Amino acid sequence: MTKLQRVREIITGIITVLIALLMLLEPSEGYTAVIGILSLVYTVRGISMIIYYFTMARFMVGGRTALYIGIIMFDFGILTGTLTDVPHFYVLLYLIVIHAFSGAIEMMRASESRRYGGAWRLKLGHSIIDIIMALLCIVFLSRLSVAVIIYAIGLMYSSVLRIIAACRRTKFVYIQ
Amino acid sequence: MQEDFHYYATYCAAYLAGYDHAECMDICYSAQFVDLCSATLLSKIKAPAAAATTQLQLEMMDTRTDVIGLQNITRIWSSFHFLPKDLKASHNRRPKVYMNKYRLICGPNGELVKRTAELAKGKSLQAAGIAMHVIADTWAHAYFAGTPSLVINNTTDDFYEIISGDEGETERKIHFRHSTSTPDDPGNSIYSNSLFQRNENTIMNLGHGRAGHLPDYSFIKYRYMPAWNDYRIIVKDNPSDYWNAFCQLIYAMKYLRYDIGEFSTGTYSYDIAAPYETRIKTILGKRQIKASDDWKAFGEELSGEKIEDFDINRYQDEYMSTSAENRHDTFLGKFTDAAIAHKSMVCHEIYSSGNKLTGFEKIVHSVNDNRNGLFKKKHG
Repeated sequence: MTKLQRVREIITGIITVLIALLMLLEPSEGYTAVIGILSLVYTVRGISMIIYYFTMARFMVGGRTALYIGIIMFDFGILTGTLTDVPHFYVLLYLIVIHAFSGAIEMMRASESRRYGGAWRLKLGHSIIDIIMALLCIVFLSRLSVAVIIYAIGLMYSSVLRIIAACRRTKFVYIQ
Repeated sequence: MQEDFHYYATYCAAYLAGYDHAECMDICYSAQFVDLCSATLLSKIKAPAAAATTQLQLEMMDTRTDVIGLQNITRIWSSFHFLPKDLKASHNRRPKVYMNKYRLICGPNGELVKRTAELAKGKSLQAAGIAMHVIADTWAHAYFAGTPSLVINNTTDDFYEIISGDEGETERKIHFRHSTSTPDDPGNSIYSNSLFQRNENTIMNLGHGRAGHLPDYSFIKYRYMPAWNDYRIIVKDNPSDYWNAFCQLIYAMKYLRYDIGEFSTGTYSYDIAAPYETRIKTILGKRQIKASDDWKAFGEELSGEKIEDFDINRYQDEYMSTSAENRHDTFLGKFTDAAIAHKSMVCHEIYSSGNKLTGFEKIVHSVNDNRNGLFKKKHG
């Protein structure tokens, strides 16, 4: 990573952690923040996809689809930002899929690592936490605040990982 | 390529190059071990993670595809399985971000093949085995890159097998499915491949996943359209490529044995393989998923010795029961040293070409390692 990339990653991570903390402190108001973040994410992804088309995808076979998807995603981001009442059911559904999928992958990874004699307990722990989060979303499907809290915890987790990754030194001992 | 070529065919090539049976076994074991030396295995035997030469499927799924994760993936796969053919390749009006990936497309007889052979010369048999794996894969994995990339590694769905018969060549449509648990069915031209993923950097777009295992089968000749080739079709003739690979391995190992003074790309020891050409081409052309038995029988006929089956655990106890300071002299110690040296060389070349996809390099200090006469560098 360049210094600029590191600074960008750390700042993004810190801002996201702060937002997640605010959401945890005020879950009832936090739902608006969730919608705001989703809107922002889709808008940024849309713009990124359009940039991706002009820098890379237009040189590949069938790459024009990237442009169409970028435009649609950008539109979707703007549209989400203008909505004031998105059923929180969809947010919970999104969380269930994300956590259940991560949990399943981590569990398979733990099993594989164990088979090869490597460390597996931590991975199994991660997988159990992910699956519990998915189950919590299902159990508390009707409670808005739970969705916000779970979303905030997930946000905080990925932000901390982002900051850690940005601080890591990629040092290798090379023998030539 | 698979065990049939990396283990058994490499044994045959080593024997034809002049190595004795025991040396051939060390070389072919090391060549095959490249496909199994993952970070998970290294963690188990407490060896340096930097020596990883491959990644398990779930290891990759577990890797974050952020900048650092992508660099780690690219270091491993570009160095050992998709050696770039031309790091200075040019293409009109393409931005650098695109060209960085384009220049990692693998292919035979590039400058890095020469550097690979030169680096292994005068080193251990393990280093020779690693070099043979890398050189062989430049033939099998040509036209794909060892970095996740949709714009490079994607293909269209139109794959056709070209089958030679009495009435010349005919074409048959290849059908893909996405089930890794179901074996490929060459009889009906049904193969597994990776799912199409639109994300540029997903691991699904690493290497030849979109073409399934077609590049790994010696018998198949097929045509397809890759994402990067401006709508031009590529015909991949594996029987011919594998024959060239085999003859190049013999040539490379003769160079490692000091029978040849200078390594030249595009040069093959056809003369040494010629007496066995019909036999080898029959093995290469036989429609089968694994040709291990045929190569093994051929190798045993050549040397008159029994070729033991590959056993991933064979040298692990030796490594783990040796003290840390003496591990460099064990079989796996020599393997990991050679793997790190090779990875360093390739990553350094990629970085020096102005391409940051394998990471950033900064020489902190250099010291002479008196024991090995090696040169250590720290990169941050």
